[in-house]
Amino acid sequence: MAASLSASGALAPLAVSAGAAAVTLLVLVGLGTPLGYLLARERLPLARVWETGLLVMLLMPPLVVGLLLVFMVGPLTLIGHGLSDLHLSATNTFLALVIAEIYEAAPYYVLGAQAAFAAVDPRLEQQAALLGDRPPRTLWRVTLPLAGPGLASALATGWARAIGAFGAVIIVAYHPYGLPMQIWTTLNEVGLSSALPFALLLLVVALPVPVIVYGWSRHARR
Amino acid sequence: MLDVDLRVARRMFDVAAAFRVSDGERLALFGPSGSGKTTILEAIAGLVALAKGRIVLAGRELTVVGRNAGPGGRARSVELPLWAREVALLRQDPGLFPHLSVLENLTYAVGRRDGGGVARLVEILQLQGLLSASPRLISGGQAQRVALGRALMSRHRALLLDEPYRGLDAPLRRELTQLVRDQVRAHEVPAVLVAHELDEAQAFADRLGVLDHGRLLQLGSPSEVVRRPSTPRVAELVGYRGLVPVTAADGRPMLAAVHPERVRLGARPERGPVVEGRVVACRPAGTGWEVDVEIGPGLPRPEAAGPGGAHPVPARERLSFRISDPPAGPGSDVVLTLLDPPLFDRDWADDTPPPNPA
Repeated sequence: MAASLSASGALAPLAVSAGAAAVTLLVLVGLGTPLGYLLARERLPLARVWETGLLVMLLMPPLVVGLLLVFMVGPLTLIGHGLSDLHLSATNTFLALVIAEIYEAAPYYVLGAQAAFAAVDPRLEQQAALLGDRPPRTLWRVTLPLAGPGLASALATGWARAIGAFGAVIIVAYHPYGLPMQIWTTLNEVGLSSALPFALLLLVVALPVPVIVYGWSRHARR
Repeated sequence: MLDVDLRVARRMFDVAAAFRVSDGERLALFGPSGSGKTTILEAIAGLVALAKGRIVLAGRELTVVGRNAGPGGRARSVELPLWAREVALLRQDPGLFPHLSVLENLTYAVGRRDGGGVARLVEILQLQGLLSASPRLISGGQAQRVALGRALMSRHRALLLDEPYRGLDAPLRRELTQLVRDQVRAHEVPAVLVAHELDEAQAFADRLGVLDHGRLLQLGSPSEVVRRPSTPRVAELVGYRGLVPVTAADGRPMLAAVHPERVRLGARPERGPVVEGRVVACRPAGTGWEVDVEIGPGLPRPEAAGPGGAHPVPARERLSFRISDPPAGPGSDVVLTLLDPPLFDRDWADDTPPPNPA
């Protein structure tokens, strides 16, 4: 097992997977958190449309998501042209991997964040405002701490979905290999015994974050 | 000074009220559930929008809607955000921040500054020993005291209390009421309490407003409102149980509102109108007796409140009242004196609320 993992370049997929999942999480936290908040407080125009879109993303088979992504960001599309003007490509690149992971993880994170914010009693936010806090301060002192455990759970789920993303990835980001692709190709080309170590590695990387976060959020909610 | 003149649109009826509360003055708004009391407080705090009106606190306009006071007589509107209103609101639900300790809740508005103020308040509110506790682990009474302390620590120019003692036992209510009275005096801010129990409102207030169906029916000193309700509906709300026909001192036929605690056995014409009746039932109540009496024959039937009355008060022929000594049994004739009762014209047509100002 150690032999197959230490083979030259075999640990590269680990770096690719961890890197792409980390970037995905940053994007989710940066964009998904405000989106979840606005959805929870029903302050978003066309909120139903957003929610439906997220649900569709959640329910669609990842392979189909991958195919749709080809039509959205592939080289022949408007976005693809725009990217190539910037010397970027969303096909078989790290960027493509991140986009595919975002598509697979976003609905889990955003809907989780929405639930976490919806569970915060708006009267507590009103109370903070009446005590003199402006909205950003209320968000920082009341909303985020109270939604924290729920947000952390959503983030853990997002992380697990991102790092294990496969269906959309195989369509738009066959290269560079992340761990799931590595497992798939090793299984195809070499065999089960060689693929297992990578599977184990994926578990070791993917699981601790959610496990620790779930433990903490359970503790914090008490 | 808190100056309120507002109209808030609600589904069933509009809430409209106008009053002023000076610094250090305590106003209680009393009325049945759903009469619009809480709506008034929430409008002052900025939690509900006005359809029309103006709320001014300490010379600052908190809310102005639809006044022709803008340039060129146009309507203008002002709506200060919650955080700028400087209004402390204490609700029935203490609304403590569950992720903060008792001390952090108390000092929420001031942070770590002003340690002296907190120490004094902690002592007054008897919260020593609880400061590091989580709000989830303290009793309802303690939580209410923390919420009060938190409100008092904040920068506020008015104190609004929305039935904050509901669900607490009587001694604790008395204690908190006294505490709030002292604090209002010390801070010299206008205070408005909303209560659906008369005792609570009386114990707190310098002035009492009676609210029903979104209308302020009467505003006056607590004793004036209780002894001289302006309409039969107010009388009913403050505890009078019915109307009986009597003849006033000047000979005019009137209706007297009967309060169960203001009826005496025997004819005492110098203390109020005398009526005759027959005991229907009596039962022990508290330390005395509650007696049902049918007003005797020979008296004219009381007129019901006229048509068009929004809340006709049923004129009753049967009275219930309390006395301290055991009465003669059912069937016996009695003579009763109604102690200085509020009197209304026989043809009182009611409590129709004043027409809506356009």
